[in-house]
Amino acid sequence: MAGDQTPQPTGGPGDTPPNAGQGWTALTYLIAGMGVWGFIGWLVDQWLDTGGIATGIGVVLGMAGGIILVVRRLGTPT
Amino acid sequence: MNGAANVLAQGEAAFPPSVEDFYLPSIVPWGAENSYWFTKITFMVWLAVAILIVFFLASYRKPQLVPTKKQWLAESIYGFVRNNIAVDMIGHAGIRFAPYFTTLFCFIFLTNLFAIVPGLQISPNSHIAFPAFLAVISYVLFIYAGIKHHGAGKFIKNSLIPPAPWYILPLLIPIEFFSTFLVRPFSLAVRLFANMFAGHMLLLVFTLGGFAMINANALLAPVSLLSWVMTIALTFLEFLVIALQAYVFTVLTASYVQGALADEH
Repeated sequence: MAGDQTPQPTGGPGDTPPNAGQGWTALTYLIAGMGVWGFIGWLVDQWLDTGGIATGIGVVLGMAGGIILVVRRLGTPT
Repeated sequence: MNGAANVLAQGEAAFPPSVEDFYLPSIVPWGAENSYWFTKITFMVWLAVAILIVFFLASYRKPQLVPTKKQWLAESIYGFVRNNIAVDMIGHAGIRFAPYFTTLFCFIFLTNLFAIVPGLQISPNSHIAFPAFLAVISYVLFIYAGIKHHGAGKFIKNSLIPPAPWYILPLLIPIEFFSTFLVRPFSLAVRLFANMFAGHMLLLVFTLGGFAMINANALLAPVSLLSWVMTIALTFLEFLVIALQAYVFTVLTASYVQGALADEH
């Protein structure tokens, strides 16, 4: 997924859908998902003293969120 | 550089190169301890700007219908960025961003290239300040372009609210915010900086390592030789990284601008 940095020249004229940045975008969504919700889970951990359970739940939720975002934003349009 | 070579030959350079090696001494005032307003890094940035201005002015001063060699080079660079990055990524609306992308691409490429130009041999981009500022410019550009195109409210709505059922939006909006407005400038800056930093460090390790080994024991001379051959090979690899990072930075900026201009899916 990270190796998607060399874009295929689309060659088509005019407003072809861009694809060069999509690999990075997808990677960012997946990592950001885990990061953001993992962090929120960690904060909950600190608050409720749950010893890492909330962090784990957060990371898994974030992963799911990241995947949903990749599908929704980068999946086949319409 | 000759001074540095002498230092190396006498085995006085500290072998494991450190971050200290990226902080070059002050030039004006010469060798000052607490004044770093003008160092080799500053000089190289000015040099890059001067080269680019002079080159493009000189090649477009008297444009010919049948281009001269210089004009051909300048036109190919601009044409490449305009067609293969701006138009390819953004579409026709991208043409008005092409001058910025070309400037960005040329500046990053040239400052990166200084990493392997003999006598210069360090890239200003191996200091986080320069990539960070370039990233800030791109960040402001894509937000400004988006706000100008959609209006602030719709731009923020477009970039924060993905097309998804309402009940998973609370899960998605923080991720969108984080990845669009926080990670983007950071990753642009760090990607360029880390590549140039690591490249310089790698060349330092292999060059200085050769000297360190030959100084430690004359029998290690063949290994030192191998180490220097590796330096040359890595210099070519470094050239690949230089061109690729300049390209990636520009393409990602274009992709962010495209995302800001895009209508909802």
